Amino acid sequence: MVAAAPHWIRTPASGLRLGVQQNRLWRTWRVARTGIYIWAIYKFPSWTRRLLGRPTPSLRPTHERAAHAVLACALEMQGPIIKVCQGIATRSDVFPRAVVEILKQCHDAVPAREYSAVKAVVEQELGKPLDAVFSDFDTRPLASASLAQVHRARLHDGREVAVKVQYPGLEALVKTDLRSVRIACRVYEFFDPQPIALLPLLTEITDHTAMELDFRREADSADHVREIFSEGEGVIVPEVYREWSTGRVLTMELVEGIKITELEALEAAGLDPGQVVQDLMQIFVRMIFAAGFFQADPHPGNLMVRPSGDIIVIDYGLSKHLPRGFGMGLFELLFSMMTMNESAMVRAFTELGFRTEDGDTDVFLLIARRMMRRSDTGRFEGEFTEEMTGELFDAIRENPLVDVPTDFVLVGRVFSFLSGIAHTLGHEANVLEAMGART
Amino acid sequence: MSTEVKLADDRLDYSLEDLLASGDFAEPLIAGGVRCHGGFDADGVYGSPRVLHRKPAIQAWQRALQAQGHELLEISSDLMPPQYPSVDQAVLLCRNGVREPVVRALTIISVVEGFGAIIRDVKMPDLESIVVEPFHGTALAHLAGGLFEAHARDEAGWGDEGGHKQMWEAARDLAFESPEIPDDVLMRIMGGPGGRGRPRKRGFPQIDETFERMVGLMSNVLIVELFAEEVFRWGKAVLANPEISAEPEQASAMVGYIESDENPHVEYLRTALSEVAARNLRTSDGAILSGREVVHGTLHSMLRQITRQRPEEQRAQVRENMAKLFTQAENPSALREEFESLEQPWSPPPHTGFEPQLPDSG
Repeated sequence: MVAAAPHWIRTPASGLRLGVQQNRLWRTWRVARTGIYIWAIYKFPSWTRRLLGRPTPSLRPTHERAAHAVLACALEMQGPIIKVCQGIATRSDVFPRAVVEILKQCHDAVPAREYSAVKAVVEQELGKPLDAVFSDFDTRPLASASLAQVHRARLHDGREVAVKVQYPGLEALVKTDLRSVRIACRVYEFFDPQPIALLPLLTEITDHTAMELDFRREADSADHVREIFSEGEGVIVPEVYREWSTGRVLTMELVEGIKITELEALEAAGLDPGQVVQDLMQIFVRMIFAAGFFQADPHPGNLMVRPSGDIIVIDYGLSKHLPRGFGMGLFELLFSMMTMNESAMVRAFTELGFRTEDGDTDVFLLIARRMMRRSDTGRFEGEFTEEMTGELFDAIRENPLVDVPTDFVLVGRVFSFLSGIAHTLGHEANVLEAMGART
Repeated sequence: MSTEVKLADDRLDYSLEDLLASGDFAEPLIAGGVRCHGGFDADGVYGSPRVLHRKPAIQAWQRALQAQGHELLEISSDLMPPQYPSVDQAVLLCRNGVREPVVRALTIISVVEGFGAIIRDVKMPDLESIVVEPFHGTALAHLAGGLFEAHARDEAGWGDEGGHKQMWEAARDLAFESPEIPDDVLMRIMGGPGGRGRPRKRGFPQIDETFERMVGLMSNVLIVELFAEEVFRWGKAVLANPEISAEPEQASAMVGYIESDENPHVEYLRTALSEVAARNLRTSDGAILSGREVVHGTLHSMLRQITRQRPEEQRAQVRENMAKLFTQAENPSALREEFESLEQPWSPPPHTGFEPQLPDSG
């Protein structure tokens, strides 16, 4: 069973215990307390069992208890710890499914900050009173996330904008929290004889968080994606107004459309949901396979469709460059799975950066076979379904010798999101079909 | 030893296994370290895969169609656009150390060949409810029963046996000694999202959409397969040139093997489309529509589009970063001048041969 977030945490602008939340000593203690609790719920029962000679039961209830403890800690602390949880929730290849499912709640359970705090950040960053820049600024946020919230506003020239504002004091909190978590991970790895490799994961989350904290980078990413589709291919990337943006405040063109999963609204606008899916797939396939740069967070809240059929993609906080040759390597992997060519699968996994400690490449075949068994025909037919991605991550987790490139995990997650959207609209998210090669 | 069996009778029905069956080979084809399909007989003659029954079957279906007084579709070779850069231009570039456009072209060909495998996933319509006249014992009746699958395996390979994709890669790697692959290959192949969420425009909205899509895909593949003749001519000429190719004999022979494998694809596709053209179709509202109108109409619009747009697109893509590439040569301006002097303008013929027939005015 998945626990709901405590009621108070859903209340916008609660400002709950803000003073305490900002206290570094308290934050360090809160992380340590959670770490000790989790260590205890895993270790004490296993010692007891060993003493009494009892068999090992399913660990799922323990995983759930641990995940709830982490979730409670994150919701209480807010800020960067929420980001860490969101990072864990994307790594089904490392963490048990029960943990991932529970921590996914972090995506929706972020309360908004008080308007006064937001206003102070905007004024400090832009160096002007709020009303010198905006003729109108909605005090209620359009959305709130772990690091920032977004408000609707209007510039003095009449342009409607969305203003993304970073929460105050975040950089210091990030340092404190990530240091606390890193110490907790070190202690865990020291005591546990077969630890999950948490430190590389934490380094990855730290890198991603640092990227997301600099809004200028997000503006650059939006520009990059706009450039990829500069030939008028029906993709809308909101314009960033650089003169009203800084590292902590992002002022963007306000774009509106139909949420991509609202089937009835799409049909009412005269759109063909099948074609919408095809267009959406072509956008992401082009970014990932061809351009080597992609928006890595295409959940339905970040995708809208205009009645003209143009697709709006927002939120470039998590965007990534892929290494040279990654697109071709991924194409070769999918292709080899389509043609059941096992030697080509091994080559492709290796080219993508998968590694085993002892060089045994049979593990790659095990992973590929597990993915393909999720298909009706026993071969890859072009769609990365959620089940297939789940199977992939399970297989990777159960074969801990495998070193998995982060980019592959992010891309797998993107296609899993897209498959979910496609199925909501009654269609399939076929990657190979979306590549649109002229046969 | 021949890999195909001459049948005394005109057998018209074949199982999936029949249509996928290959003969025995004395030697396998191994290209670039990859075991490929097909193989060699005792005299060293290359034999295509999966033609033991497929080839005689196609010939039998063609004879049966003609015996009923129908014609096989013919697409004029005049419609075939030339490959760009031309053989002379490609050789000139490579001789001057500018190999990227040729390596890119060969890689694109290999990827596109591989994509041929999607033909096996084409959604099959309920032919019995659409085609008015019987079609038992035709290529049309065997599309999902082995013809599409054999085609897919030929193009993309199957299991640990490479197909045309891997054979083109091997030809490229033999000639240019495993060159670095330009990282924009997939960008060049892919289109952007062009649908704008709108329902696809249909040429024949009165017939079943799945059937229309199948005819469209088969027509498109047939045109590409036919026009590939020019690609083979180009590939063999470029790769056989000892001035620029490290393994001229092996590399050009590889293209020759692919070329010989393609013949059954062209023949089964034009046979099945001719069989549709020789029959009538039931529309969604129960009326009757001539199959000829659908097949000829589809081919006409595709040929017009392909012969008018694609050569220009291909030329524009190759020339896009040419200025930068010329600078790799010792004397960029001389190379540019010579390259331009080898340009051979091409215009598509005014007619496709499948123009809609206007009603008699008299």
